[in-house]
Amino acid sequence: MAARYRWRGVPAALVAALLAVGLAMLVPAQGYILNIAMQAATYAIAVVGLVVVLGYCGQISIAQAAFFGLGAYGVALGTVDYGLNFFTALAIAVAIAGVLGLILGLGSLRLGGHYLAMVTISFQQILTVVLTNWIGFTHGPDGVRGIPRPTLFGLSFEGGHAYLALCLVAMVAATLGVWRLKSSRLGRAMQAVRDNELAAGTSGIDVFATKVGSFGLSAVFGSLGGGLFSGGFHYISPDQFSFAESIVMLTMALLGGVQNPFGALIGTGLLVILPEWLRFLRQVYLAVYGAAVILIMVFLPDGLWGFVAERLRRRVRAPAQDVAPLPLLAQRGEPGADAVLQVQGLAKHFGGLKALDGVDLAVRRGTVHALIGPNGSGKSTFINVITGLYRPTAGRIGFAGRDITALPPHRRNRAGLARTYQNIRIFRGMSVLENVMVGAERAGNDVANDPAAAVERALAALDFVGLGDEAARLVGTLSYGHQRYVEIARALAGSPEMLLLDEPAAGLNMTEKQELGGLLRRLKGHGLTILIIDHDMALVEQVADHITVLNFGRRIADGAPQVVLQHPDVIAAYLGEPQRHEAA
Amino acid sequence: MPITRRGALLTAAASLTVASLAVTRRARAAETIRIGVVSPLTGPAAQVGAIQLNSCRLAAEEINAAGGVLGKPVELVVEDDQTTNPGVVLAFSRLAADPSMVGFIGSIRSTQVNAMAPDVAKVGKPMMFGGTDPTLTHSGYRWLFRCRPNDSFSGRVIADFGVNTLGKKSWAVVHSTDAFGTGGKNAVTDALTKLGATIALEQGYANQQADFTPVVLAIKQSGAEAMCSYFTFEPDLAVFARQLRQLGVRIPWVGSQSIASPVTMGLAKNALYGTYGVADFLTDANPEAIAFTAAYRQQHKENPDSGWTYDALHILARAINAAGTTEPEKIRTAILAIKGYKGAEGTYNFDENGDGLHGYDVEQNTNGKSVFMKRIEFPA
Amino acid sequence: MQLLFTGFGIGAIYALVALGFVLLIRAAAVVNFGQGEFAMLGAYLMVIGFNVLALPYWLSIILSVLLMAAFGVVFAATTYWPLRHRGGLPVIISTIGASIFLENLVLVLYGPEAAQIDGLFDAPGIQVGPVFMDSQYLSIIVVAALLVALQYAVFEKTLLGKKLQATSQDKEMASLLGIPVATMILITFAYSSALGGIAGILVAPILFVSTGMAGLIALKAFAANIIGGYGSIPGAILGGLSLGIVETLGAAYISVPYKDAFAFLMLLIFLLVRPQGLFGERIAEKA
Repeated sequence: MAARYRWRGVPAALVAALLAVGLAMLVPAQGYILNIAMQAATYAIAVVGLVVVLGYCGQISIAQAAFFGLGAYGVALGTVDYGLNFFTALAIAVAIAGVLGLILGLGSLRLGGHYLAMVTISFQQILTVVLTNWIGFTHGPDGVRGIPRPTLFGLSFEGGHAYLALCLVAMVAATLGVWRLKSSRLGRAMQAVRDNELAAGTSGIDVFATKVGSFGLSAVFGSLGGGLFSGGFHYISPDQFSFAESIVMLTMALLGGVQNPFGALIGTGLLVILPEWLRFLRQVYLAVYGAAVILIMVFLPDGLWGFVAERLRRRVRAPAQDVAPLPLLAQRGEPGADAVLQVQGLAKHFGGLKALDGVDLAVRRGTVHALIGPNGSGKSTFINVITGLYRPTAGRIGFAGRDITALPPHRRNRAGLARTYQNIRIFRGMSVLENVMVGAERAGNDVANDPAAAVERALAALDFVGLGDEAARLVGTLSYGHQRYVEIARALAGSPEMLLLDEPAAGLNMTEKQELGGLLRRLKGHGLTILIIDHDMALVEQVADHITVLNFGRRIADGAPQVVLQHPDVIAAYLGEPQRHEAA
Repeated sequence: MPITRRGALLTAAASLTVASLAVTRRARAAETIRIGVVSPLTGPAAQVGAIQLNSCRLAAEEINAAGGVLGKPVELVVEDDQTTNPGVVLAFSRLAADPSMVGFIGSIRSTQVNAMAPDVAKVGKPMMFGGTDPTLTHSGYRWLFRCRPNDSFSGRVIADFGVNTLGKKSWAVVHSTDAFGTGGKNAVTDALTKLGATIALEQGYANQQADFTPVVLAIKQSGAEAMCSYFTFEPDLAVFARQLRQLGVRIPWVGSQSIASPVTMGLAKNALYGTYGVADFLTDANPEAIAFTAAYRQQHKENPDSGWTYDALHILARAINAAGTTEPEKIRTAILAIKGYKGAEGTYNFDENGDGLHGYDVEQNTNGKSVFMKRIEFPA
Repeated sequence: MQLLFTGFGIGAIYALVALGFVLLIRAAAVVNFGQGEFAMLGAYLMVIGFNVLALPYWLSIILSVLLMAAFGVVFAATTYWPLRHRGGLPVIISTIGASIFLENLVLVLYGPEAAQIDGLFDAPGIQVGPVFMDSQYLSIIVVAALLVALQYAVFEKTLLGKKLQATSQDKEMASLLGIPVATMILITFAYSSALGGIAGILVAPILFVSTGMAGLIALKAFAANIIGGYGSIPGAILGGLSLGIVETLGAAYISVPYKDAFAFLMLLIFLLVRPQGLFGERIAEKA
């Protein structure tokens, strides 16, 4: 099974590469059409890189032409000025661009959206200025000419056909590579980050590293395309890698459909060819081009590929296979004596507001522990501090024998802490199965590095929550209640030590609530440790072994359900609240 | 894995879109002599491009009225180069793909000629061009022929005029950091130093600026007696000129070609009064220029700022007629044999490198009118 | 001193264009890459009105600004409205398309010749001690200040301004309160376009009128906007002014050719050290 996954698509890739070489032979060996084909092929590689950063990871980059230029200049200066072999120069250029990509990605640590766009624009502009003005190194605005084409294993790529074939093979490899990436662990992590950063973090994905990685990868593709471009045209100059070109590349990606590398190919092909076709319009053609961009954005929201894919979409069958049950189901629930979660003196202040004020709490292994309290009592703050979304003002959090107080969310998840959200946070651009696979692939899980086993684990988790048949659907098409189950399945697939449920009954109707109760009792029966927050007393009473009550950020009661629910302070907190409200 | 196969097919389909361009175009029966022209119709040089194209069309009309080339009319095939290097490479390769093309009129921008040069060499047909970077005709490209004097001459003319005629010894040099400006700066500083003048300031600027105050202040502080400039774009020069005057700099100023262009003079108005300029083309420098200007004015109601495309087409036509064939190698020999041809830009004496002109006019801006002062020629 | 004045003048241009950006960001969450072309279009309308049709100077200005306001509505209807529910990026791309379209449309209709229009005053400027103050820079600074004051007055003191503010803060809430959100957004587009036009008319005597006149200015104005604090009106002004001054001083004391790099270097430093800008919104996502 694993082997099948590894070799999946390789024959197709070979066929595609051969086809590309064949096509290269059809193009005239020099002149206009060859130039167009070469430009399209090398641009396509860079645009495919944009699919990674923009389409998969959802980060805006308006600097792809800068990376393209880095690759081109690396090859040009390396071969012309330093006498390096073409491929050595290309490798160095790609490495430098990759590192700069990573550095640019560091900007995403604190910035998103327009800010990140502006960082990339700045990088782009500065590179242009440097290429133009550092004449001693870059040859300045004159550009570099006489860039040679390579020879590999005695095979010369000097001829137009051979070189175009090289570019096309690289393009096919890049496209298929990026297409494979989409359904890989890293690709899923990127898409998860794109769809929901918080949930990605609490599902064990290192959000920051994933973003940085996507920038690095995108830069690598950009510079690879650029390196091939410079050999193709023998001549480069700074104005070929300007801001305007970055915009062109961005438009190519969006036009074709940014979710898919094949879309990038279509978009690139079209935008390289379109202005050439429109040349018969003479002076008007750039105006027509601008108008066409608007029309395409308005009428083809998912790009051309999205439009085509929508027409071609077939009902994908759920992979019908017998799957091994969740490992969880092998165990029998016996409450243990040791505490999985040990919280001491936890405090969180927002300015003057003490949302949590020295809370102690211990969740024993194999128990269902409920945290309740009136609105504004600090329950949500508590769960956000526990899972690492907020930094505590004071206190200590011990989990499974470790101090996790200072760990970021994904490290806590890797330690075995999984959660769901009150307002469902799923990865809306992905299928049900992919959503749950993200959970199964958390670092540290036993199936994390085996794609086939991860699929099996995800299906098992879906079977457990009763959604086995919906695996192939886009998650956004499910009902609200089922989306909540997907979230729970995602958490279960990661074989967590403890599951945190943040108001799981919120928004569910009566039937769904009863189903949820059943699910929770089954989980409890298999000995999963659960911390549940909810308003729904009926649900809490059904499943809880232990209840902690918060009010005004303080713990006002803690113990067995019967005892706690009779506690006068608790009754006062719940019943007294409206009265206090009136008085105020 | 059906999805995989479908993906592969689509890759192939995408590649096919590119390849589908490979429709072989049948060479047209040679009823006309087809000359390919790359010209900036869009982009920052669009303004210059329009005048160049008009001049070229004027030459074609004259040639055709006089019986054409080899008995056939000349036909111009124009492609927009978008004022960019990738644009010019594509525009040229599009022209060159047509086998019936006999020769080409190239760009006035050196960097673009540089970009096209390897392709021109491969195509092996003559290209007349106007870029003034001296190296273009000294890098072993056999098919490039220059119809304007190169910058080594403009530098020498500025220096000669500035030192020998104006008698100024200490100079500030202001130049664009692009290929044209840097090349010009090198030529003029060389020539000035050889004539014993000192360079008080070398100041580069990036094209398309909103503000030149720092440059003007640097000139002021340098204490130079005179100034020379290499500006690429007319609006930049006009902005600079006005700020220069506002901040009270009034030293003698000899500018490169752009200072004498009607566009610059129209924009800058009195800020440029009294300045000198070298010009490869002046409307009143010689009888041919006067005749060309009159014909151009009649059609377009304004003065041309350059005659090189006009001359280039005439020279190309002349060479083809002299060669008696459209065979490239013979045309090349015929172009190189042209001596003493009087064009609007001056008298053409092609040397073995492909340089047709070897001197410049000097003009002075007299209350908004460019007045011819003298022609300074150097031996080829 | 001279450098400071020029930097201030250039900064005022950035600030003026940045103001147009800010309004659209606030009202419609749109980053309009066509803002520079608004300025260009305004300047060309002025050229047509004053130079070609020979209308009186002030009449041409008023007509140009009014036409720009109308154009803003057309712009909104074509490039923003159909895409308004699809997030930021499609709108950004669409405005980029619009900017390519406008630039080349003008090139086709008017031709590539750069044009010149007169400044507000005949005098070239005044000499104050060692500093020469260009009259056009002075008018830019004055007009920018007036517009800011006017904008403040409208936003804070009138019902229309309150409605506009409510729309920019929370569209759903605003529509629940019976504010015609669509109209408010259209008004903002019209105003922003008119503002761009004014900027273009003011800058034209300095930079001349050409189709590419405002591209880099718009980009720097956007940078100014972030330096000042994304979506903040005082931020846009201060960001623009400081950018102009840094750029001019950098060019004078460090390097002229690298001048364009300073603006973006300054932006990068700001983004890394103080991403919320001078008057910034907080960048945080709630769990």
